[in-house]
Amino acid sequence: MSPDRNDDQTNLLQGTLDMMILKSLALDQMHGLGISRRIEQLTKGTFQVKPGSLFPALHRMEEEGWLVSSWGESENNRRAKFYRLTRAGRRQLNSETQRWGRISLAIARALEAS
Amino acid sequence: MPALSRIKNFFRNIFAKHRADRDLDDEVRSYADLLTQEKIRAGANPDEARRTSRLELGGVEQVKEQVREARAGAWLDSLFQDLRYGAHMLRKNPGFTAVAVLTLALGIGANVAIFTLTYAVILESLPVPNPQQLVRYTFRSGAHDFGLSGPLYDALRKHEDVDQDLLAWGGGGTLTAQEDGLATNVEGELMSGNGFRVLELQPFLGRFFSDADDQIAGGPNGYQAVLSYPFWKQHFHADTNVVGRSLSINGTEVTVIGVLPAGFQGVAIGQPPDIILPLSFEEILNAPHPLRHAPGRFWLTVIGRLKPGASLRLAEANLRTTEESVRADADPSHRFLGGFFATFRIGVERGGSGRSFLRFTYGRPLVVLEILVGLVLLLCCANTALLVLARVSSRLREFAVRSALGASRRRLFRQAMCEVGLVTFFGLMAGIALGWAGAKSLVAMLAAIGQPPPLDAAPQAAVFVFTAGISVLSALAAGAWPAVRASRVAPILGLKEGGTGSTSKALGRWIVPVQVAVSVVLMAAASLLGTSFFRLLLADSGFRPQGVVLAAVNLMETKVTPAVATQLAQQIVDTLGAAPGVDSAAVMSQPPLHGWWSAAHYYSLDQKGVLHPDMQTWQEAVSADYFATIGTPILKGRGFARADIGGAPVCVLSASAAQNFFPGEETVGRFVFAGGNDPALDGKTKADPKDTCRVIGVAADAHFQSLHQPPERAIYQVVPQNGVGVIFFVLVRSSNAQIATTAIRSAVRKVAPAAPAPTVFTFNQLLAEHLRQERMLMALSACFAAVALLLTALGLYGLLSRNVVMRTKEIGLRLALGAHPRDALSSVLWQGLRLVILGSAAGLIAAFGIAKLLRSLLIGVQLDSPVLLIAAVAAIFVAASLASCIPAWRAARVDPMEALRYE
Repeated sequence: MSPDRNDDQTNLLQGTLDMMILKSLALDQMHGLGISRRIEQLTKGTFQVKPGSLFPALHRMEEEGWLVSSWGESENNRRAKFYRLTRAGRRQLNSETQRWGRISLAIARALEAS
Repeated sequence: MPALSRIKNFFRNIFAKHRADRDLDDEVRSYADLLTQEKIRAGANPDEARRTSRLELGGVEQVKEQVREARAGAWLDSLFQDLRYGAHMLRKNPGFTAVAVLTLALGIGANVAIFTLTYAVILESLPVPNPQQLVRYTFRSGAHDFGLSGPLYDALRKHEDVDQDLLAWGGGGTLTAQEDGLATNVEGELMSGNGFRVLELQPFLGRFFSDADDQIAGGPNGYQAVLSYPFWKQHFHADTNVVGRSLSINGTEVTVIGVLPAGFQGVAIGQPPDIILPLSFEEILNAPHPLRHAPGRFWLTVIGRLKPGASLRLAEANLRTTEESVRADADPSHRFLGGFFATFRIGVERGGSGRSFLRFTYGRPLVVLEILVGLVLLLCCANTALLVLARVSSRLREFAVRSALGASRRRLFRQAMCEVGLVTFFGLMAGIALGWAGAKSLVAMLAAIGQPPPLDAAPQAAVFVFTAGISVLSALAAGAWPAVRASRVAPILGLKEGGTGSTSKALGRWIVPVQVAVSVVLMAAASLLGTSFFRLLLADSGFRPQGVVLAAVNLMETKVTPAVATQLAQQIVDTLGAAPGVDSAAVMSQPPLHGWWSAAHYYSLDQKGVLHPDMQTWQEAVSADYFATIGTPILKGRGFARADIGGAPVCVLSASAAQNFFPGEETVGRFVFAGGNDPALDGKTKADPKDTCRVIGVAADAHFQSLHQPPERAIYQVVPQNGVGVIFFVLVRSSNAQIATTAIRSAVRKVAPAAPAPTVFTFNQLLAEHLRQERMLMALSACFAAVALLLTALGLYGLLSRNVVMRTKEIGLRLALGAHPRDALSSVLWQGLRLVILGSAAGLIAAFGIAKLLRSLLIGVQLDSPVLLIAAVAAIFVAASLASCIPAWRAARVDPMEALRYE
């Protein structure tokens, strides 16, 4: 059992992590560390994605056809693997966003109701 | 194209694994690199940055393993890897592999063998639509399972209303079929015209006969016949023009109208017909004395198809209310159903598998064997679990290291299971081979004297499914538990010095007592079945079997009358009496313990004038030297002498017949009268002198029908005052069975050259055949018990030896501190014995249960003393002590210095 799985902060629902990754790649291609920093930034530090969760998700999403990867140079001239959204990935981001909107609205209403 | 990309990745992951792996490695390392750079830029010193980023990463290998698991096709890939690794580990440990495979092969093989038989004898259905709707009517008393008489069939058909219809099926025997002057012997069976409709069979070729065709002199088109598929293929070379051809069966013309479907071999299992004829044809075959309407001939297998909604229970209830009127209708005279066959009851049971003599004899023993063999499998699984556990616990370090290096729990579990799976696979293969060989020899054991094996134990699909099922179950039972333990190992264990877990000990504490308990049960069952066999074998049967050779002489084909047959029998005995090497020779009308049945009507008047009728007297016609030859002692009076032959009728009674006819009175010199088959007339008419015989002696009781039943009340009359039939039995007492056999064969050839060669067998063979059910149970349960004992001893030995190895350091320390080697010895011994005591206690309780079960399932099993159970437990104790001794002795010989220097 690897330690990062016990970490509540990063123990995200799989769908949520996928959505965050898709979102962080919406504007530009990015490497692994970049993606996790972007997610931290987007969530104002609520979600810290560790490599043990990030890499399996990236590889799975690549196999799903949502992402493509290529090797390139990082901002400080280091070799890094960059990920980029495909058209399927963009469609997935859209549908995830809509679904999430519906769910969060429903939950918010449910919590207010009482 | 998500699907396409997934497939592409699947193949990449499988076939270009190394490249993908290198790529992944690069990626994770580059991530670590970037992280370090980030920290350095934030102001950390390079070493500190590298350390914290590695901590944050949580290990390159773990991350890689997690990615690999997320990949498509990862499971397949790692499965191959695990299988390869498992095979490698098995090759490296040939001892473990051999013992584990053998243990499983034994358990699976025994189950396959018994199940093959159970399937063939009990479970297999007739190849007809909806066999579960079929019921069979029976006529039984004790060990006799008769068919129904023709009148009983007719009466049953008239009275019962739960079946759509009832068919009757009877053996026609070996017939002569002639076509264009060419004669062949064929096995003929007879079936009522409605039979094909009741069975819902469809012809392979042509059509079947129906009620309209089943009449005296045949139907509108004369007698008609249906051929079996194999006979049609072999004899008619699968000629489709066979339909319409005419055959002469025992001299009567019949027309072939159809061919049976390939799988259908009749409703009497083990007696496949070549040709099926309408039931009414019997009246031609057995003219002038047909059986069809004889109230005292019980030869028909009666099968019905239940109406929709009716059940077996309903049929039973219906039968109970109608049995009396059925009996009255079938035999208005009450001579047979109320007299000779009064002890027989009509019954109804499931008929979907047809009528099988094997099922009647072996049905219950097979249930018993299934239970025992299931226990053996349990034991084998327990042993395999112990073995796997030993393997796992000796590799706990390895598992811990692998877990520390990033292997997931699931992966570790699967890896341990892979090894078990491989062992099971090889065990299964060996088990199937063993099982089929076993089934073959078991079937050979079932064969009657002079008969081929009674059934075909060919591998069946159902047996395959069953075997696969038990194998998967045993693999799970044997492997899952240890594998779970292995997968839960804490990574830290791998880093600790000498860290070997204690899990195996805890598990062994459960498995060994279970093994002991199961062994006690199996030992108890074996001793119970063994004693009931030997009790029957050694019981006083009323005969002295040693040195007696018998022969069945059949003069049926020579067409002689019973009177001539009796003369020939006397001549054979005279010839034999003069033959060298023969002590004495005799003839008897019915052989003992060979499934024969005899009931005759006699009565007597005691001194108070009270009438003692008996319609179930065993009537035996014997020649003068019978008692000396077969060894039945004469208790009072004398046996027959040659002088009796010409004189007034005389007889010898068995002790129980004497007690029945003349209770408490002197018997010798009194008279017994042959009844007229009508008890109402007993004593009312003056007995004909030729029906009156004077009792000249009383013989000891003898078991003619069965050793399980009380002896028959027998009356012996001397040949030729009372004749033998056209089938009779010659017996010879001789010190050399070979000489006796040759003498019998040549005497029969000389006196009756036209008769077929007689079937010759020794009395001991007869006895063995009579007890073959008990013998089979005894032999198999003894085998199972031996296996149980061996496996339990091995299991205990393995557990204790491993324990001693693990405790070497501790024992050494104790010895160094002044403990006596005897303490080490007794500590290990006690450790083993404690488990045995626990298991024995549980086993004893279970053994009483199994004894009860056996007694309810089998006739003749008695739990007469707890001595046997105690002996069973004692045997386990001895085996367990022996198994504990070696490890205990090793513990006592531990050298303190060496033990402390260890590791």
